[in-house]
Amino acid sequence: MTTPLETLRKKRAESVNRILQKGYLANTRVYVGMATCEIAAGSKDVMEVFQNAISTGKVKDVYLSQKGCAGRCNLEPTVEVVEAGKNPIKYGKVTKERAWDIITKHIINGEVIEEWVIE
Amino acid sequence: MKEHVITICNGTACINKDVRGLQNILEEQLVKLDLQDKVKINVSGCLGMCDKGPVMIVYPGYTIYGGVTEKDITEILQEHIINKRPISRLAIQEDNLFNRFFRIFGDTKFFGRQMRIALRNCGIIDPENIDDYIALRGYEALAKILTDMTAQDVIDEVKKSGLRGRGGGGFPTGTKWQFTADQINDQKYVICNADEGDPGAFMDRSAIEGDPHTILEGMIIGGYAIGANKGIIYIRAEYPLAIKRLEKALADAEAHCLLGKNILGSNFDFDIEIRLGAGAFVCGEETALIRSIEGRRGMPKPRPPYPSVSGLFGFPTLINNVETWANVPVVILDGGSWFSTVGTEKSKGTKVFALAGMVNNTGLIEVPMGTTLREIIYDIGGGLPNGKQLKAIQTGGPSGGCLPAEYLDTPIDYESLAKAGSIMGSGGMIVMNEDVCMVDVARFFIEFTQSESCGKCTPCREGTKRMYEILTRIIEGKGMPGDIEKLERLGSMTQKASLCGLGQSAPNPVLSTIKNFREEYEEHINEKKCRAGVCKALLNYVITEKCIGCGACKRVCPVDAIDGNKKQMHHIDNDKCIRCGMCMNTCKFGAIIKS
Amino acid sequence: MQDTITITINGKEYKVKAGQTIMQAADSLGFHIPRLCYHPKLSIEGACRVCIVEVEGMKNFVASCAFPINNGIKIKTNTAQLRRARRDIVELILDNHPQDCHICERDGNCELQHLAYTMGIRKKHFEGQKKNYDLDLSSASVIRDPNKCILCGRCVRMCTEIQGVSAIDYANRGFDTVVMPAYNQPLGESVCSHCGQCINICPTAAFVEKNYTQELFEKLDDESIIKVVQVAPAVRAAIGEAFGLEPGRNMEHETAAALRKLGFNYVFDTQFSADLTIMEEASEFLERVQGKGKLPLITSCCPGWINCAEKFYPEMLENISTSKSPMSMMSPLLKTYFAQKQKIDPEKIFCVAVMPCTAKKCESERPEHTVNDMRATDLVITTRELAWMIKSAGIDFVNIAGEAYDKPCGMSSGAATIFGVTGGVMEAAVRTAYELYTGETMTEIELEDIRGLQGIKEGQLTLEGQEIRIAVAHGLGNAHKLLKIVKQEPDKYHFIEIMACPGGCIGGGGQPYPSENLIPLDQNLLNTRAKALYESDRKNTIRRSHENPEVQRLYREFLKRPLSDKSHELLHTHYKAKQPQGIVSHMLNNLQNGK
Repeated sequence: MTTPLETLRKKRAESVNRILQKGYLANTRVYVGMATCEIAAGSKDVMEVFQNAISTGKVKDVYLSQKGCAGRCNLEPTVEVVEAGKNPIKYGKVTKERAWDIITKHIINGEVIEEWVIE
Repeated sequence: MKEHVITICNGTACINKDVRGLQNILEEQLVKLDLQDKVKINVSGCLGMCDKGPVMIVYPGYTIYGGVTEKDITEILQEHIINKRPISRLAIQEDNLFNRFFRIFGDTKFFGRQMRIALRNCGIIDPENIDDYIALRGYEALAKILTDMTAQDVIDEVKKSGLRGRGGGGFPTGTKWQFTADQINDQKYVICNADEGDPGAFMDRSAIEGDPHTILEGMIIGGYAIGANKGIIYIRAEYPLAIKRLEKALADAEAHCLLGKNILGSNFDFDIEIRLGAGAFVCGEETALIRSIEGRRGMPKPRPPYPSVSGLFGFPTLINNVETWANVPVVILDGGSWFSTVGTEKSKGTKVFALAGMVNNTGLIEVPMGTTLREIIYDIGGGLPNGKQLKAIQTGGPSGGCLPAEYLDTPIDYESLAKAGSIMGSGGMIVMNEDVCMVDVARFFIEFTQSESCGKCTPCREGTKRMYEILTRIIEGKGMPGDIEKLERLGSMTQKASLCGLGQSAPNPVLSTIKNFREEYEEHINEKKCRAGVCKALLNYVITEKCIGCGACKRVCPVDAIDGNKKQMHHIDNDKCIRCGMCMNTCKFGAIIKS
Repeated sequence: MQDTITITINGKEYKVKAGQTIMQAADSLGFHIPRLCYHPKLSIEGACRVCIVEVEGMKNFVASCAFPINNGIKIKTNTAQLRRARRDIVELILDNHPQDCHICERDGNCELQHLAYTMGIRKKHFEGQKKNYDLDLSSASVIRDPNKCILCGRCVRMCTEIQGVSAIDYANRGFDTVVMPAYNQPLGESVCSHCGQCINICPTAAFVEKNYTQELFEKLDDESIIKVVQVAPAVRAAIGEAFGLEPGRNMEHETAAALRKLGFNYVFDTQFSADLTIMEEASEFLERVQGKGKLPLITSCCPGWINCAEKFYPEMLENISTSKSPMSMMSPLLKTYFAQKQKIDPEKIFCVAVMPCTAKKCESERPEHTVNDMRATDLVITTRELAWMIKSAGIDFVNIAGEAYDKPCGMSSGAATIFGVTGGVMEAAVRTAYELYTGETMTEIELEDIRGLQGIKEGQLTLEGQEIRIAVAHGLGNAHKLLKIVKQEPDKYHFIEIMACPGGCIGGGGQPYPSENLIPLDQNLLNTRAKALYESDRKNTIRRSHENPEVQRLYREFLKRPLSDKSHELLHTHYKAKQPQGIVSHMLNNLQNGK
């Protein structure tokens, strides 16, 4: 008989698989904060910008996901860009315009926009 | 942007092993090897690997080096940083549930000082995707207990952890579980109290919105431990997103056989349903919450009997707060012994706070018990903006106390805060600077609690109202000698005689401000003066000699309280003045001041 | 569990029975802890906080009404700080109370007044805003005065737990908390059954009956009319208490004498028409037993029950006897039979009823109870109102010489006397039905099965081989329980008696307030009142309604026989399902507003 632990391990393998299939291993992963507070600060618009950039093919090899609140109330909405082998970068007070800049400057050209980075 | 970050653990154990000395050496070495531009050094709070200290983590890659010596430092810089070859000999594999947060967040001061156990997944996973949770060892604790732990094993583990209720009371969680488990009854309930009502508090909301599954997992474990098959999450209707995510999580968990009949193929069944609260503050009190679920007016009821004996519909009921539940999977997976290494002697683990007020970094933080107020406000919060002086810290939500700057080195734990005259509460923390009037603050909080009193017991219903009235008259300049004593008398009576926690703690802001800032009350009453310039009725606007007699103030004054001839100094008639401040805003010469 | 445990009160050890609350244990030892919201028949609320005591090891005071004793518990009941806290609590209640004692209906009989005196409140410290609400005069029977309400919640629990009506509950929060009907609709349009138990249980005058004493004094002074009065059985068993006489003294003849002294021209006994009710109702029962009409037959003399039935049991209205209550049989007879006999113009007759009941006021206003377009009963006063009138008129009730009731409607059987106590109507009906059906005189006429204060009582008898099962419920809560059984098993009973008030009419909503050392609804008090009526029955030479010669004469001369056309015209009525208008209109409004 399979124990619950064995059942769960199997489930975990399936979960990891599904995440990988969604493109988790992409060169760049982008996380947009989508808690009530972040949404109130405008993160839905920001999310849309990234979604459009992906769906229109403006950026490629990008894994986009929402995430909960990380606690930086005064700097919301927050966006985090994780590039393989590099330190993750978190941007604060991201607007639609800033989101666009993050796409063009950071994701496409690899320039971190230091001014908006949360230290 | 620097290429690497090295986070150095500054927990007590590591400091005892002279981690600070190592940091100096590291800094020297960086200069020597000319790596200053490539490597940033960061200091973190306890990383929970005390027996392996001193600990440092190198990013990117999240390589943990334990037992680091002076000699190792050179090797780490040489091999890992310069040659890009992590040193497996020194690296340790630590898979505590909480520490994955630092893989992403460990490199900034705000996060580095924190220790995230309850919020371990918040801001990391997609809360609406159960795969994210499962991939990060989600539901493994549940699987573990279903595989090889008895109900009593689970309770013993929770007892061993020293976990205490995070809703404010601080009652030992394991003991509560034991009481409920000891009741012999076919029907028992598990309740998650998510009726977060403190103004400005959002710990529970963030926890649910960021990681709903951990709450569910905690509750299922609780149900297994006490022998219940039914769980209820009582959450306020004002949290639509949290509710939506909980609903999604419930459906997903059920689809994955993690909830419902025969969980993970075991013979344990557990269901969870959501009940919405209508927004009464008092429904956060457990007996009132239970009444509300029963469909009655949410009013507290005397204890004993405690809910563990006679709770929902009279059945034994285990009720814990969101944050408590979120800790449970970690307690099971990392073990009660590990959990109990975090925190202080009597308060184990971490506590989530909503840091707000006049502080640079406001936000939601989770710190080990025992962290001082100073560390929170200056290290994590980044101090006060505009160079203002700290005047008071209010902890514990609307019914917490106000502590003056002398208490900055108070460690955060249940006993120390109580001793200082405040409470842990559910985790509100408000920083106030010198622009705040403490009488006004006390009135603000009591205004909230008196309007949220359920109206059942006399001290809370009438007592807080009278305190509010006395504070109002003090603020309006009508305070009388003896008012402070009346507040103290009413306050201590209300504390000791009220039925529930709301009334018992409602006077805290008043009594603590009287205790710590009595001279401000005396000034208001005796000298009709508000040193912070907040209480309008006690404020006088005065025109100084800088006045050139332009007449601008005279023209804007809505009540013609300003008089004066052209090109001569003007005067304000304080009997007519309504303290609107228009004159001061209008004067281009800074000639009008508050006094 | 041990039977006896040791507790310490005020430094002295006592052995007491385990499983009690502190208050119960203290009571048994002769320590009377002050109290307000506590009532032994109601659930424990712990709301007023007057009964607080100190328990060693507890940080705060505990409510002695709720806190269980345990072995070794150390209690203090009268320390200086407790006294100060209790004093302050009672003052807080007083500060938000009208304090118009000298013009209040409960002056001298008010628990708050008494408590304030015993607390030694001589000076007030915390006065401020006071509540200010309109009186609710909408009900025909009960006036609601939220200004006098001290929110002890006894009425709410009475209405919900004992009566199962839930016409009132707390609304709003904090200082604005009020006890009100649903949606703050007028009491007269609520589900209220007019039983008046809220008046009995209220410690102050937040609920009082609609008082008609001044109108009545005016009428009594009017020589152009004939003033006729009838007195219900339960009045005589209790009115003495209002004059400080020991409970249980039957004041039948003193009451008749006092009424004449007050100026009534004729004084009749409702017991006469109670006999008549039995004639009609027993005949109706026998018809139904023989297949003409629905069974079980339910009695109809209690107006509180009728109000309740029309609102809660519209589907059972056909089960209720069409016979009017004794009061409403007497009045039409006085305006027909008696008027003809005395050759008086019925328009000139002013019919008054003295009742232990508030719902009778509502019954007298029912439009279906008119006779020849005249209102049958012109005015109803309660026992309390009569007692006040006697005092106010300066009549020495205690030493008055008793007088007999007038003829032709003043004679009655013992069966009529016991109408005033639960089970009495059934017992009286059985005594007569048996003989009407079998032709034999019943010998064992004291039906012990349906006597006493048990909530639901059952009995059975045999009518010529047919088993007749009877049931009795008193208090609407018990009625709800009994009718639930009937809905499940419609054939279980043939005949049911329901009285809205606990104990029947002797516990009616219009009976005297309990004297200082007694509590409302005290079981011994009710038993003593019941005893007075049972003794009167035993002493009567006529103990069966059909043996009452005046009743026999009435049939001979006027009505012909039970259930005749004349009887139907004057003595029978019909019922209508009633939606509580307040709730209905509130819901309609919401619909119209699109909510």
